[in-house]
Amino acid sequence: MPQSIDDLIAALKEVGYFADRRLATAVFLALQLGRPLLLEGEPGVGKTELAKALSQVLARPMIRLQCFDGMEQREALYEWNYTAQLLHMRALEGQPNSSASEIERAVYDQRFLIARPLLQALQAPQPGAVLLVDEVDRADEPFEAFLLEYLGEYQVSIPEMGTVSAAHKPITILTSNRTRELNDAVKRRCLYHWLDYPDRERELAIVRARVPQAADALTAQVAQVVGQLRSMPFSNAFQRAPGIAESVDWAKALVALDTLVVDPEVIQDTAGILFKQRDDIAAMSQAFALDVLEAAAQHAQDAQYTSNTA
Amino acid sequence: MTTDGGYHALGDARSGKMAANVVGFMRTLRRAGLASDASRTALAFDALRTVGLAHKSDVQASLEAVLVNQHSDLVVFRELFDAYFRDPQLANQLLAQMLPTAQGQANPSKQRARTREALSPPKPNATASKPQSETPIELDAAMTASEVDRIKHADFNTLTASEYHLVMGLAKRIKLGLPKWRSRRYRAASTGHRVHWSRLLKDSSRGHGLSPRLPMRRRQLLAPALIVLVDVSGSMERYTRLLLAFLHAATRPSAPNGPGRRHVFAFGTHLTPLDSAFALDDTDAMLESVNALVSDFAGGTKLGESLATLKRDHAQVFSGSRAIVMVISDGLDTGVPAQLQQQLQWLGLHSKRLLWLNPLLRFDQYVPAAAGAQLLHKQCDAMLAVHNVDSLTMLASSVAQLMRSAR
Repeated sequence: MPQSIDDLIAALKEVGYFADRRLATAVFLALQLGRPLLLEGEPGVGKTELAKALSQVLARPMIRLQCFDGMEQREALYEWNYTAQLLHMRALEGQPNSSASEIERAVYDQRFLIARPLLQALQAPQPGAVLLVDEVDRADEPFEAFLLEYLGEYQVSIPEMGTVSAAHKPITILTSNRTRELNDAVKRRCLYHWLDYPDRERELAIVRARVPQAADALTAQVAQVVGQLRSMPFSNAFQRAPGIAESVDWAKALVALDTLVVDPEVIQDTAGILFKQRDDIAAMSQAFALDVLEAAAQHAQDAQYTSNTA
Repeated sequence: MTTDGGYHALGDARSGKMAANVVGFMRTLRRAGLASDASRTALAFDALRTVGLAHKSDVQASLEAVLVNQHSDLVVFRELFDAYFRDPQLANQLLAQMLPTAQGQANPSKQRARTREALSPPKPNATASKPQSETPIELDAAMTASEVDRIKHADFNTLTASEYHLVMGLAKRIKLGLPKWRSRRYRAASTGHRVHWSRLLKDSSRGHGLSPRLPMRRRQLLAPALIVLVDVSGSMERYTRLLLAFLHAATRPSAPNGPGRRHVFAFGTHLTPLDSAFALDDTDAMLESVNALVSDFAGGTKLGESLATLKRDHAQVFSGSRAIVMVISDGLDTGVPAQLQQQLQWLGLHSKRLLWLNPLLRFDQYVPAAAGAQLLHKQCDAMLAVHNVDSLTMLASSVAQLMRSAR
């Protein structure tokens, strides 16, 4: 367990996750105070990756619960292996000494229980697990209510078996893309962090680490262009800005296409990697791409001048 | 104000004032509308003990992780933190906070009105000794734009802390009650009207026998789209800012009772889409963005022309045909009546319900005498008042009733 925020930043960096100090502080507090951490932010800013990186840093298994519309408790917590229970009952029926109550007790044995992510996280052996409750905003409100017991006490109730508490508190990360507002009760049980797009330096470091085969000039240009696209008001240009995942994919694609320098034609041809909306891709004309490149270069120059004079 | 050791009490960790400062800061947050209860206070102290007080940025990040729980509050939290813990003005502002008689010199240049009011000394509670008045709060009471600014351009400003409280309180208390309709599509659910045959087969094949549980499916409940057209002509100025703030807070598509989709347009002499502004989380940021987008503030009202633009350029917002359209206007139109009639007919045909929200209904003897008002009265499904809290409550119940009858 990292003993300071600096330790945590360094440990995350070693596994390829570049966290800024603000994020590292929130994560450090979640680890130290044993509270779940709710991460909100646009898609592609590295919310899920953080849980993966933490799992590596802390050498704990990562258990992922991907939420979706219509998800039920049994898909998140547990279900009984009905087939095995039936077979067991059949086998017991042949034995003269087995009463109905004994059979009932026997079929609700631990061995017929199929643990789903939440229960797996509670039952994980030392040192415990990292539980990622991904895109919790996609689940229904009743499911959120069901999560409250887990988030508050790290325990769940199974009617046939009683309460199951965590032997080793799992580190819990919840992510949300804000497709809907989460319940206040869930938020109250969590620490909160809004994960924003990275600044230029952090983005550069991420792309360098993820796509080491890209030349320095190309990496710098990728960071500049993506940063410029994000800074454009989406009402005038794009519905959704490219995330970190898109920058990395774009850099990989440019390397695969043997691109040395990004030009308007390349941007237009590869716009499908940066944007996932048809209108956004269509908006990326060569003329617009040229404007973006010029603005990005100007911005980089200004930043260089400022850092030199400072 | 010195301690026994001779250190200045304010801001000196050795004198143990950090606890008082944090509690004072949390009180300020509450005044600015950020919810924080006693358990959060305890957690904030735990967090500070864990992280330490060596770096101001760490202290800020820790308090942010503990005390903020939604993105829209971040800007105000950071502004307040900067102002509250900034060194040169710290003593002055803390004095203002702690001693109700001292006059605090808040920095008016960069902070938003909500931050300034939260930092200013609390006003003596004059109403505590008197019974609460039952008079409804008039929305125009908070209007602060100067006449000169009004003529020049839109000046929606930002909300003060008390306006913010009012708007958020209204948004929470007054649910617009938009109905949800059953969609044609079905989805898996624990209870439902139809058996989910494909899932039953899948479960059974996985378990090597017929699954003992019957998976069901049911139709989804979908909220209708909401299209709001707000009049930004001069006669509407006193209502527009708070109405926009109220609509922004009360009709978030992500809210449990929110609409499926929300599209907002301003109209004066022409139509201005405000969706990009309304997509912003923070109500103040939304108002600032509206300020930048609207260029025809306090001009005439040409509703007919604006609706023609809506039909020509934004017809896709009506897709699904179950949209609820709200026209917020006093009906004092300066356009061509024939065009307005034609466009209102089209709007009526392409929406589930066309509602006219009229602030002039505040006058008891109001009759829609103006040509535009007459047309709106004739073509819309209902005319509802929106000038005070009572009328907004009525609006919510009327909308719910109208939508029920529309099924």
